[in-house]
Amino acid sequence: MIRFLANRLIAALPVLFIVSLLTFVLIYFVPGDVSAELAGPGASAADIARIRAVYGLDSPFHERLLGWYAALAQGDLGQSVLLRRSVTEAILERLPVTLSLTALALFLAIAVGVATGILAAMRVNTWVDQATMTVALAGLSLPDFWLGLVMIYLFAVQLGWLPTGGYVPLTEDPIGWLRSMAMPALALALTQIGLLARMTRASMLDVLRQDFMRTARAKGLPNRVVIFKHALANVMIPVITVVGLSVGILLGGAIVIEQVFSIPGVGRLIIGGILRRDFPVIQGGLLLTATVFVLVNLAVDILYAVVDPRVRYDR
Amino acid sequence: MITRRGFHAAVAGAGAAATVVGAPAIAQKKGGEAIVAQQSPPPSLDAQTTSAQHARNITTHIWETLYARDEAGNVVPDLAEGVNISPDGMTYSFKLRKAKFHNGKDMTSADVRASMERYKKVGNSSAVLRDVVAFEAPSPDTFVMKLSKPVPSLLDGISSPRAPFAIMPEEQGGKEANKIDYIGTGPFQFAEYRPDSHVLLRRFDGYVANTAYKERDGFAGRKTAHLDSVRIRFMPEAGARAAALEAGEIHVNELIPTPAAQRLKANRNIRIHEMMPWAFQVIVMNHSQGPMQNLKFRQAIQAVLDYEEIIAIANDGLYRMTHGWQHPGGTYFAGDIGKELYNQKNVAKAKQLLAESGYKGEEIVFLGDSTIANHKGTTEVGTEQLRRLLGINVRAHIVDWPTASSMRLKPEGWHLWALGMGIEPYEGPFNVAGFFAKPQLQTHVEDPVFEEAFARLQSSPQLADRQKAMADLQRRMYDNVTAIKLGDFGIIQGARANVENFKPYRAPRMWDVWLA
Repeated sequence: MIRFLANRLIAALPVLFIVSLLTFVLIYFVPGDVSAELAGPGASAADIARIRAVYGLDSPFHERLLGWYAALAQGDLGQSVLLRRSVTEAILERLPVTLSLTALALFLAIAVGVATGILAAMRVNTWVDQATMTVALAGLSLPDFWLGLVMIYLFAVQLGWLPTGGYVPLTEDPIGWLRSMAMPALALALTQIGLLARMTRASMLDVLRQDFMRTARAKGLPNRVVIFKHALANVMIPVITVVGLSVGILLGGAIVIEQVFSIPGVGRLIIGGILRRDFPVIQGGLLLTATVFVLVNLAVDILYAVVDPRVRYDR
Repeated sequence: MITRRGFHAAVAGAGAAATVVGAPAIAQKKGGEAIVAQQSPPPSLDAQTTSAQHARNITTHIWETLYARDEAGNVVPDLAEGVNISPDGMTYSFKLRKAKFHNGKDMTSADVRASMERYKKVGNSSAVLRDVVAFEAPSPDTFVMKLSKPVPSLLDGISSPRAPFAIMPEEQGGKEANKIDYIGTGPFQFAEYRPDSHVLLRRFDGYVANTAYKERDGFAGRKTAHLDSVRIRFMPEAGARAAALEAGEIHVNELIPTPAAQRLKANRNIRIHEMMPWAFQVIVMNHSQGPMQNLKFRQAIQAVLDYEEIIAIANDGLYRMTHGWQHPGGTYFAGDIGKELYNQKNVAKAKQLLAESGYKGEEIVFLGDSTIANHKGTTEVGTEQLRRLLGINVRAHIVDWPTASSMRLKPEGWHLWALGMGIEPYEGPFNVAGFFAKPQLQTHVEDPVFEEAFARLQSSPQLADRQKAMADLQRRMYDNVTAIKLGDFGIIQGARANVENFKPYRAPRMWDVWLA
């Protein structure tokens, strides 16, 4: 397993290199930089040139590229032009926010999605099945930003139960954190709940039709044991694959949800960086996102082995 | 001709920007925290270096300037008691009033000199100080600027809040852009900045108010901080900002979309404030490319467009039809000049002009951005009209703001560009006209007639001569179709009903405001 892990981590390096190179090149050739934001529409070309010189944005492509990789080799993602701090610091400040939002959304997606899928499979072709799958389809179809706005209007404005937005750190006030995260996490999770519910139902129905399930029932095992011991274990492989993809989708979705709920996470950092052309922030943020994707994929592979004893990596 | 339709003023406490605030009827109350929501974080809190509205909203609470603008936008003293201008117009001697920095130090002319020297190096509008050859501090309460030639617009320039000529302690003067400590003389002091979340300002109890005034007046006047603190939250989603105001989580919303304002008007806990005019809606013309080099082609565009339809759609009905390149009632408003060429909607005339121009179906690129809604709306509606009414081969090219802002600096790649000019007309004539003259030269073609009038505007010592120059510039704007002004548009702000004495202005001012 350790060798497998080492190999996968080494294989990830070229992926991250290509991502960082592509990001750098694309950003460099996109028109505009922070000078547009700082100078405003009334600025002349000379004003823009002066601001670019002040912020060191006028150096040639190769110098900036080499500088970026030289710093990266030392673990330095560079300095944000506008935030007055290093990109690493800016990301680390926001990472717990985004990770906690994603984790809560993932927890909701797995807990509700898998349970709903099992329930629907066990009551296949009944009203329970129809109702849960209809709700799941709705969850899959509705855009999360729209759901977020509807939730704000309902739960914050009309009912006054939850805040409209903002973020309370978990360490400062756990209840406040939960209140501030409840709507964003639910809005983010709903799509994945629908996806996981439908996926789990389909896998479960597949497994329930297998010979070994008939054997288990014929042995006289209680339904609880048949479902949760024998069926669920076999359902988990495809579900884990979907959960792995879900983490990526949730991280991407967090960018939109952070905007809607004014949450200071990595998503807003990257969006702000793009809108203002704060190049080091965009580069650092995208490199981080790519790294998380690689690590999640690795974690999924490891989970396969944990869940299914047939999967081994040390051969 | 001033008309309005759509959203109209059943708005509490609205009114034009140009009225002086009366004495409040309700007893002032000290304490509490007011939460102001704005769309974006500031690109920088270094007031001197950025002209962004979202920075100005914050920095005008922290820093003050020698001269500032009153409620009507006139130039008035702030940290200066007054100025003595030598007969040759080349020496400005400012007498400073007493003021204290947030670090407890009294302000002296040495601080002013260091601040101005820094501005000349890193300031966003450093061109204002281009002809200043020396900054001097002959005594602690006297600051002198020496010029190489008379610059009648100097006080207009240094009093503008565009990128404020912020006065900071001397030791900050040598610091690079965006690397200062946030120390000013304003009624609130910087406390905390959490990027993408909020800025927290606390009342500066050592604040020395300007006793030359009786009350708040624009960015100047006698300022009093009643609130313990002001928290400026960054909330990008307009719907979420409106909901937060409705739920009472914020006290002031700096920008409410018109449809949301219509709904919130009925809420007795909220006061809706309309700010009209806020900005000009403009179509900038690139005179250097293809058919745009031909005056008749530009005149055809000028003649055919339905200005009112464009500005109404682009601004959700919150607009007024005015032809002037200065706001009516302002010192430099040039009357009816050019009015006959404004909003003509004359398709027959336009077709005639187009035929005379020899247009052969070349592609015209209408540049706009999706970051600012009225830019996008202007681009889309303008493109549709030019295609439908005149058959011009126009392509709407909508990108994000940094891209559009970068593209327009080059002569190639675009022909028309949608823009809202807000701070420039508020400042007066200099930056409005300057946008189309050298060195900015947004048309990308030098116009000797325009340049000559602009030179007179900048250098004439007598106000009447400068007014005449502005009138000539306006004439030229229409005759040469330098650019097209579609009209003025407004913005809507909202405050909870318990926010007393709030009045919209170029930034949401939280001094002289208290919570009931």
